[in-house]
Amino acid sequence: MVNLRFIGRQISGAKRQCTVFVLSVALSMITLVSLGSFRESVESSLLRDAQSLHAADIIVHAHAAIPAALQAEIASLAGRGEIKSARFWEFYSVVQKVKGDASLLCNLKVVEPGYPFYGKVLLASGRPFQEVLTQGSLIVDQTVLDRLRIALGDALKVGNATLTVRDVLLQEPDRPVNFFALGPRMFVAAADQGSLGLIGHGSRVDHVTLIKVRDPEKLDKTAARLRAASNESRLRVETYKNAGSRVKRFFDNLLFFLNLSGIFTLLLSGFGIQSTLFALLKEQERTIAVMKALGARSRFIIGHFLGVTLILGFTGTLAGLFGSFALQRFLPTLFSGLIPAQVTLKVSAPAVAQGMLIGLLVVLLFTALPLYRLKEVKPRAIFGKEETGTLWNRSTWVIAGAGTLFFLTMVLIRLRDLKTGLYFMLALVLLVLVSYLLAGLTLRLLRGREPKNLQLRQALKGLFRPHNATLSIIVTLSAALAVIFAITLVEKNLDASFIEAFPPGAPNVFLIDIQPGQKDDLARILGPGASYYPIVRGTVSAVNETLIDPEKERRSRGDNLGREFNLTYRGHLLADERIVSGSALFRRDWPDLQVSVLDTVVKMHKMEVGDTITFRVQGIPMTARISSVRTRTSGGLTPFFYFVFPETVLSGAPHTVFGAARVDKDRISALQNRIVSLFPNVSVIDLTETVTVFGRIMARLSAIVRFFTSFSIVAGVLIVVSSVFATRYARIQEAVYFTMLGARRRFVFAVFAAENLLLGVVSGVIALLISQVGSLIICRKALGMSYRPYLVESLLLVLATTLLVVLVGLAVSVPILRQKPVAFLREQADE
Amino acid sequence: MTILQTRGVTKNYRIGNREIKVLDSISLEVAQGEFLVVKGESGSGKSTLLTILSGLDRPDEGRVFIEDLDITDLNEDALAPLRNATFGFVFQSFHLVPSLNALENVMFPAELKGDAGARAKAEALLDRVGLSERMSNFPHQLSGGEKQRCAICRALINDPRIIFADEPTGNLDSVNGAAILQLLLELQRERGTTLLLVTHSPEIAQSADRVVTLKDGRIVTGQRHG
Repeated sequence: MVNLRFIGRQISGAKRQCTVFVLSVALSMITLVSLGSFRESVESSLLRDAQSLHAADIIVHAHAAIPAALQAEIASLAGRGEIKSARFWEFYSVVQKVKGDASLLCNLKVVEPGYPFYGKVLLASGRPFQEVLTQGSLIVDQTVLDRLRIALGDALKVGNATLTVRDVLLQEPDRPVNFFALGPRMFVAAADQGSLGLIGHGSRVDHVTLIKVRDPEKLDKTAARLRAASNESRLRVETYKNAGSRVKRFFDNLLFFLNLSGIFTLLLSGFGIQSTLFALLKEQERTIAVMKALGARSRFIIGHFLGVTLILGFTGTLAGLFGSFALQRFLPTLFSGLIPAQVTLKVSAPAVAQGMLIGLLVVLLFTALPLYRLKEVKPRAIFGKEETGTLWNRSTWVIAGAGTLFFLTMVLIRLRDLKTGLYFMLALVLLVLVSYLLAGLTLRLLRGREPKNLQLRQALKGLFRPHNATLSIIVTLSAALAVIFAITLVEKNLDASFIEAFPPGAPNVFLIDIQPGQKDDLARILGPGASYYPIVRGTVSAVNETLIDPEKERRSRGDNLGREFNLTYRGHLLADERIVSGSALFRRDWPDLQVSVLDTVVKMHKMEVGDTITFRVQGIPMTARISSVRTRTSGGLTPFFYFVFPETVLSGAPHTVFGAARVDKDRISALQNRIVSLFPNVSVIDLTETVTVFGRIMARLSAIVRFFTSFSIVAGVLIVVSSVFATRYARIQEAVYFTMLGARRRFVFAVFAAENLLLGVVSGVIALLISQVGSLIICRKALGMSYRPYLVESLLLVLATTLLVVLVGLAVSVPILRQKPVAFLREQADE
Repeated sequence: MTILQTRGVTKNYRIGNREIKVLDSISLEVAQGEFLVVKGESGSGKSTLLTILSGLDRPDEGRVFIEDLDITDLNEDALAPLRNATFGFVFQSFHLVPSLNALENVMFPAELKGDAGARAKAEALLDRVGLSERMSNFPHQLSGGEKQRCAICRALINDPRIIFADEPTGNLDSVNGAAILQLLLELQRERGTTLLLVTHSPEIAQSADRVVTLKDGRIVTGQRHG
């Protein structure tokens, strides 16, 4: 028999706790549905159509012209009508206005007819791409027009050719976002390739051949055939199914991180749900005892309170859905610049369904313990203080175990990575454990302290008020804050490392694709102080004679040995390098071919001094013994090389030259113009501008990360609120007693404020300690960069969070301060 | 000398749409040092009268004077010094602060007043009532009688002019109750404090200087006018 009136009265009699419960559920729903919907929107708009994302069925990618054998195979297949092919070349070049000095580094794409096989290149005029991109034409990104102050119909010097701007690019199917690029996009017809004069031997050009197969069933077979036709490790033959996409990798990584943050928020919301329900049921303990005295079974009571939680959970779910829809209006602004405008962010039905299911499981999981403990309320609780048994009994362990398993499963499903999932869970457990130990130690130190100030003394005693749950509040708050502080500290260190760390005198201009014969002329223009580094392209095929699997390497999250490298040769260390292993850069007493590696390489693959690495340079295998391991002493944007050979080894190989110079900022533009006029093949990269662009993207990413992690703060705030409610009776009692004994209202206010201040400071300081250690480990070990503690900023973070805890605690305590003593005393007398 | 006076005090309570008159035009005078018992059946309004006399509640009509000071319309902050230094309270449910031990509970009103000798006074009082061994115990570690003795010490620490006691023996057994009453009276006489005690027990009323009996919100016996 369900007593709906009882359920309704329980809810109406505990409006505050029910509101916090509903908000906690709503928060978890917003997190789940927003992230799930974002993933759906991005995948359906950008990533699901993998063929459009690659514009082809098979993609052959190399940094040089593809070998003749492979070309022949492609021609043969095309001749039989089994495939269609179209090539494009992608590279950077500085383009120049015909009239005037202005120039701009652009990301050129020279395409053959047929591109793209899938997806559409959208132009502002609405005309078909192939119709507009004829010989002598340019299709450019709007930024080119804006930066160079030109209009449609104007001409630009591109390499040795002069081409006319015909249209503006809106969308490119195989590059839906362009924030990876150092310059705006420019399309050139393949018919103009020769006249550009920019694609030569050793030029940094991506040579891509797109292939469309006539029979989709033969996709893999055709790809295998093409792979077999070329034995080059520097060449990749991939299908749209397995090809890596930078865009996809970026969004996968972003979603990966956001999912981590979402799971953390879910966990905190769960604790909010649990602590609110504990508080609500504690207040009903007498009622439950009376019901049991009248013959109600535990099953009946638990069932009705389960009804209460389900109704509240459902209300929270609806509120969360409403919140998710409202959030969708804001998300486009948050993600602007990172996703194309045509991607519509909307709440997706599968995300809603998944969110509701997970939300229900979270509610059931986190309410299991408080509901189960109703069994332990005995009828004799009517007559006095009935202390329930110890919290950590068998049922608690079982429920805690089920909860851990649930979260682990969720982590694995959402992150799709077992190893990372386990590390994440381990890190969470460690975080909570360390918070618990530090919080316990701090409280032990505080207990028994007798400050001279009466308000502070009372506040301190208030922390140890019976049933105050001070320890669990501090643990939850400090764990949540530690994550947020750590994200902030790592971000600041990243900023410093990549954007602000320009050592005085460091180069701010890079010049790429300098041909050896141009070096002396360029040196005359740049003057002394510029540095030049010979570049030979090569790949790694084996370490200690064990072959490298390039496909497997490319699947790893960070940098890997599966790509092509810029090899160089010199006989000295750079100014910001030092040797960490080995006696010298190269050993005079070794007869072997030698190579010095950067410590970053050692992180990619286990190797040490004395091991051998086999390279393929221009198709020729070359095995060298590792003579030393170097490390960089600065993390800024200065040139560095993973592999350095002695001069005698590679100086005879065809190479280009990379230049780095320090130029007065206001001279960079003029220098760029001059160099592009004289040496159209040389690209001049203004690092300060690159850093600005990169900084903008980092700022945008930070904003996104901070937005989603702020949900964790909200969850933490709800926990503070629920804890105040949990101790509401005790606080009212104290406020009434103090008032009765002659304390003014401001005294009582000051005591509550001081108590919240202590909570905030202790939580903040513990969070800071944990985050400093965590950030240090992340920066040094995971990111390989130096670490600064940013003490001032850290203290400001502690201050801000303390203020938040004080304000929230006081806001919730204000009704308590307004309580008239007589009303409370009368209630007590009636009891 | 009159230390406490009421004129035409009336108090009503609204429950739902019913208005219940709890006190009906009560006029009363209490002399300094007097031990006055307010007696009446349950629901007669005696506890309500006590809360109004002590400033914990306001009458709907009438005035309340403490030594010629009209406290009827004083706000909470203005009442605070009276509660701290002029009044002492002893309740049936003890109302000790759970997070403070016995010594701290007794010290608290004196600390609020800024009395540097609060600890010494509290220790002396607790010793006087036989709780010197229990000073560091918290309320949940004390028996009913011990809690009430602690509450009495707290009520006396600032040498109040008036003690308001609302059924101080109500939650105690007869032996403890008698002991508590005895203690209260001893301390009251030692210090010359005015004691207003609410009870429904005729035995307790026998010890009083004067007994005021309430019935249906009115004084039926024991009223004294100026």
